[in-house]
Amino acid sequence: MNGFCVTASPRRDHFSGRGLIRAWALLFCCCTYALAQSATHPVNANVPFSVPVTHLLGLENTKNNCNGTLSIQDSALLFQQRGKPGAKIEIASVRDVFVGGESKQVGGLPMKLGKAAAPYGGGRVVSLFAHKKYDTLTVEYADGDGGIHGIVFQLKKGEGERVWQELVGRGVSAIVLEKQPTKATVEVTHASK
Amino acid sequence: MQASKRNLSICFATAIVAIAIAFPDRLPAQTDAAAPTRAGSSAAQVSVQVERVNPSDLGLAPSFQLAIYESLLQELNKTKRFHQVLREGDRRASEIPNLLILKTTIVKYTPGSETRRAVTTISGATKLTVRSQLVTADGKVVLDRTVNGNVRFFGSNLRATHNLAKNIAKAIKKSPCSLPEQPS
Repeated sequence: MNGFCVTASPRRDHFSGRGLIRAWALLFCCCTYALAQSATHPVNANVPFSVPVTHLLGLENTKNNCNGTLSIQDSALLFQQRGKPGAKIEIASVRDVFVGGESKQVGGLPMKLGKAAAPYGGGRVVSLFAHKKYDTLTVEYADGDGGIHGIVFQLKKGEGERVWQELVGRGVSAIVLEKQPTKATVEVTHASK
Repeated sequence: MQASKRNLSICFATAIVAIAIAFPDRLPAQTDAAAPTRAGSSAAQVSVQVERVNPSDLGLAPSFQLAIYESLLQELNKTKRFHQVLREGDRRASEIPNLLILKTTIVKYTPGSETRRAVTTISGATKLTVRSQLVTADGKVVLDRTVNGNVRFFGSNLRATHNLAKNIAKAIKKSPCSLPEQPS
């Protein structure tokens, strides 16, 4: 009787019992594969990766707010200024990498002076449009004595994520990579009670 | 004319030397330089280990947390108040006898905006308030201060961390922090 019922309603046979389990298993496998594909961006480890950055703070024997190139060579992160010896950090010593977003006014001091000198508050109007979003890449690593260091780099928007993906793609699975949302936090004052 | 100038300069030099011999303690430059050495003679033996900032779930970005930590290390080194300034996790800390631990907890955080500061001047300030504690290895609090660091007009948001670290270092430098007497 049961067998007859099953053969009589083939639709029910496909979506119940073993069939349903198989379908779910197939779906699960497909999803896992898709996620794995999106998480590990295909990166050729032999190709040297470099990106222009501004070192904001943290590297020893390197000035703050200086421009240079951040590259990944073999098993090390290398920050190099033009014509100066680079600062090297072993990827194995990196504990965390964070990507964040910030916004800043462009033009530096000359622009600031120009805006201040502009009559009828014209400088304020210029300020409305003279800003640029950028990414921050924060690298936390431990030195030979176990002391924790932090380095903050400023990159073009979208480049932070690229470096992050590059690190993941190069198989640095031992380190924890945390991605911070690039949107600015809500302007709310918090106070601990 | 030249002879009189020479005499005048010799007179000045003699006067300066005489004052220096007569009042050795009252030379302003000497007191400024000597004061921290005398005050810091007991603290010179003390070392400090800086811990990373405790964000207290206030949404402080990791870049800000590490910027405060790095700036603190720099500013504390500049004060020359401590024999050694160590980082969190430094294994050498266990071998150092007189060690204080600097704990920093975020109490209040207002994320600002450089653009808003530039456009309005009065709004968009980045404000940070932290509680800084110097604690001995056995947990006794030697110093407890609430310190602010703001960027109100010019500069990037990250400059608040530098200002904050400067203020913390200043507070530590001013306070007579030393290790409590050990019961013998």
